[in-house]
Amino acid sequence: MVQAQQKADQQKQLKLWLSAVGQSRDRAAFAKLFEHYVPLIRAYSLAQEPGATLVADDLAQEVMIKIWNKAGSYNSSLANTNTWVFTLARNARIDALRRNGRYNTNIDADDLFEHLEDDGPDPFQAAQTLMTQETIHAGLAQLPKEQADVLHKVYLQGRSHQQASEELRLPLGTIKSRIRLALKKMHLLMGGQ
Amino acid sequence: MAITQHPSGDWLSAYAAGSLPLGQSLCVAAHLEYCSQCRQNYSRLSQLGGELMQTLEPAPSQKLSLEALMARIDTQPEQPPQDIEAEGLDLSPEPRQLSPDNNSGVPRSLRKLIPNGYDKLKWSRISWSIRSAELCRDDKGLKVELLRIKPGGASPKHTHLGDELTMVLQGSFSDEEGVYHAGDFMACDQTDTHTPVASVDRECICLTVTQAPIQLSGFFGRWFNPLLRRGYTPS
Repeated sequence: MVQAQQKADQQKQLKLWLSAVGQSRDRAAFAKLFEHYVPLIRAYSLAQEPGATLVADDLAQEVMIKIWNKAGSYNSSLANTNTWVFTLARNARIDALRRNGRYNTNIDADDLFEHLEDDGPDPFQAAQTLMTQETIHAGLAQLPKEQADVLHKVYLQGRSHQQASEELRLPLGTIKSRIRLALKKMHLLMGGQ
Repeated sequence: MAITQHPSGDWLSAYAAGSLPLGQSLCVAAHLEYCSQCRQNYSRLSQLGGELMQTLEPAPSQKLSLEALMARIDTQPEQPPQDIEAEGLDLSPEPRQLSPDNNSGVPRSLRKLIPNGYDKLKWSRISWSIRSAELCRDDKGLKVELLRIKPGGASPKHTHLGDELTMVLQGSFSDEEGVYHAGDFMACDQTDTHTPVASVDRECICLTVTQAPIQLSGFFGRWFNPLLRRGYTPS
């Protein structure tokens, strides 16, 4: 409970800092965001490529510059700062892989995700559908380890289901069903999906 | 028509995680443009990503300093209100809208691959009722293509190789399980067997993402496999 309260307070603070950067180019607030997010963005990069510290530094730098440039378009009612930074880091990681020639197309992360950022005519309703940070943390804490491990592979290490299946030595169907079970247990999806 | 076929949680979460092969991501992205329920679930799955990221052991940088970063920020070209990607083509001076563009009917996520509408693509005839246009091959060698099926065309019963995605862009078709309309998303694997038939009143255009170049496959692919066995080669 104490921990949940701390996380909620921290999130509130992060939102204030991000809004200050967006509204008044507040450098002190940006320094706080730098302090909080750079180690996490690097950890996210290292989860995919352990030991690649230069890649991790590049990604962290790129994402921080995006945070500075895009802070004005951040809408605190549609996403908390953790979600927003995660999507920036995810997109930057996809584009970095593409630049390094791993992807043989000119499709970039913006083609895949950009058009989703405004959610339609009713942002209030969109905000209503979000879960609280505490609910997600509580849900993660009660997941069986085998399900949490698969989420970790897919979200943090960036592995496709096929790669996860090879690395965990499990059938592809087991990977997929563990993910579906985890999402169900966390009540993450609406509409019975 | 209501959308009845959605990507399941394992597909949608891999998309939100950014770990799906790009071709498959495109197919999910196109579906989301038609489906507000999946957009909402996508938001929640992105939230999950944000919170999972917080569970990582922080890895502070030895090299990256705030001063150096601010120096880079201060020397970057003046930013217009929205960040413009350095290498990016600016695709959309017009205001953003979520529904696929009304003029061309092409979902926004596919417009780089289909810049001038479906009719301007290079279509190859594969059988009397089917034409195809390849859009790209992705990082995993998956083939992203459109299939265009004449009204009322039917196929022999077929099965699938691996994961194969199909999304209806225009028109509709049906099989033993039901009727599929624009926006419907289907993932098939080797356990699925079915016999699709395009609706009789208008042609049907589908986006498919299939294993390539093993053999012609996909939701509609087996329509022309009997022709291949007889030595017919698509041009």
